[in-house]
Amino acid sequence: MSDDATTPAAAPDATPPADLSATSSGGGKVTMIGGGLLAFGAILSGIAFSQDGNRFGFGYMIGFAFVWAIVLGSLFFVALQHATSSVWSVVLRRVGEMLASPMILLAILFIPLALTALLNPETTIFPWRNPTTEMAEHAVHVKGSYLNESGFIIRTLLFFAIWIFFTWFFVSGSLKQDGGGKESLTERMRRFSPIFLILFGFTVTFASFDWLMSLEPNWFSTIYGVYVFGGMTLSALAAITIGLHLLKRNGKIAPELIRGDHVYSLGGLLFAFTCFWGYIAFSQFMLIWYANMPEETVYFTKRLDHGWGGVTVALAFIRFVIPFFMLLSRQTKMNLGRLAGISAFILFGQLVDLYWLVMPNYFGADGPGLGYQEIGPVLLFSGVLLLAVGRFMGRHAMVASKDPGFEASKQFHLH
Amino acid sequence: MSDRKVVGIIGLFDDPDSLIAAAKKVRDTGYTKWDCHTPYPVHGLDDAMGLKPTPMPYITITAGLIGGALAMYMMYWMSAVDYPVRIGGKPYFSWPAFVPITFEAFVLFAGLATMGGMIVLTKLGSWASPLHDNDVMGEVTSSRMGVVLDADDEKFGEDSARDLLGEVGCQDIRVLYAADDEEA
Repeated sequence: MSDDATTPAAAPDATPPADLSATSSGGGKVTMIGGGLLAFGAILSGIAFSQDGNRFGFGYMIGFAFVWAIVLGSLFFVALQHATSSVWSVVLRRVGEMLASPMILLAILFIPLALTALLNPETTIFPWRNPTTEMAEHAVHVKGSYLNESGFIIRTLLFFAIWIFFTWFFVSGSLKQDGGGKESLTERMRRFSPIFLILFGFTVTFASFDWLMSLEPNWFSTIYGVYVFGGMTLSALAAITIGLHLLKRNGKIAPELIRGDHVYSLGGLLFAFTCFWGYIAFSQFMLIWYANMPEETVYFTKRLDHGWGGVTVALAFIRFVIPFFMLLSRQTKMNLGRLAGISAFILFGQLVDLYWLVMPNYFGADGPGLGYQEIGPVLLFSGVLLLAVGRFMGRHAMVASKDPGFEASKQFHLH
Repeated sequence: MSDRKVVGIIGLFDDPDSLIAAAKKVRDTGYTKWDCHTPYPVHGLDDAMGLKPTPMPYITITAGLIGGALAMYMMYWMSAVDYPVRIGGKPYFSWPAFVPITFEAFVLFAGLATMGGMIVLTKLGSWASPLHDNDVMGEVTSSRMGVVLDADDEKFGEDSARDLLGEVGCQDIRVLYAADDEEA
């Protein structure tokens, strides 16, 4: 590592001499693709917004939640590795830190959503602001002490404050270690990670209540936060896997660092959270279906009637059945390239899931629809994420090579 | 001594690295009936011995799928065919209500098949092995590691096996004989 110090920081793209302590990892290509996506997404979003601001709000929510899940889920992944002092993940933890880094951008990008949702009286994305049906009125009356505009704003600010602080804490702590390799930094992150994990549990639950469940204020489900958490962790793991594969293939991470043992651990987590999501999603459905109470079933009747049943069945297959069998074999979980392909499918599943959560509230009895109004914001937010990733790559090394557990992680063996 | 039947040759090693080197050599020579004995799991020994992946996962998934299908069929037959009772205004065959039991039967069958399959594949039931009667087993289960070349292997010959183990630097090579009471 250190004998490569004479190599210039801007290492060539091909034939990597594995200069782990490099201060730059390139990222120009990522920035270019991100910029392209952002520009294209922004054009589509602009057209969508000028044509139908209300529908655009729903699409914006999908795009926001998609990248939010990757970013916050990655922060959860990083904190979890610190809390458990995991050895296997040290060689790839920087990928998670990189994906968690744009948290502050998400806070900024939430502002337009909050502004239109709260100031524009014509938007219907948060119906609890101006309930139209008798049932909604009753629900909002009962839940008013929680579900009101000032409470929404205060909680949102609090969520982002917590997430931004801990993103800074974990990412900058790890980056600082690149310089001197101070062991106390790891110790400090390990000590504070359980505090974040507890706060994470609460903030994810209430943020998913506020931002997604309150799209249907007359409905409620206590497992909703867990459902969103399952999808979030799954998409973060998928994004980390794809990032790891691309970084390794382009030599930004020395190929010999990431072996089958590391990949298998990542694949095991992907498999576990696929099952977790299936378990939670079915639990939520079965209990509501079995009890058959109108105030609960409204959520599923909306997603089973008027052509939405096909989307619901497709979701069960895309999110659970297909990835389950794809991830079952040991050989697949050992192969980073194949795992990255499955991860792309899992991210697609997350998009279908978010569409299924959000869009029935817009289309309702008109049946499912899809247009540039929904695709635009997803491209826009993905572009923002890629731009942030490209910027991170330009400034930092892709491996936390001064972590005290780094050597042990290189030697990591399963069983 | 020499009139007793030779069942194999064991080469003893004191460290895992030389054991792995020896295992690779034996594997490449083409032996099929041979084994390694170690007092603790040795990383990389599977590859060095050229062991094929176990068929266990296929046994597990097959048994699991059969168990799940049987459970679902059992509940269908009981609640929709043999003794239909209308519950909660739902159809007789209300499959979502049957999913938990189906899942549990899947796990039960898969688990039992895994255990049974493990016992069969590792030949756990075959009590008699000439190695059991040999003192050298005491050594390879406490402090040393051994490569055993079985006399039943087509390539086996007492001298060639000795040479092979000597080539990989084994200092302690012993011939294993069948127990006295066993007929040759």
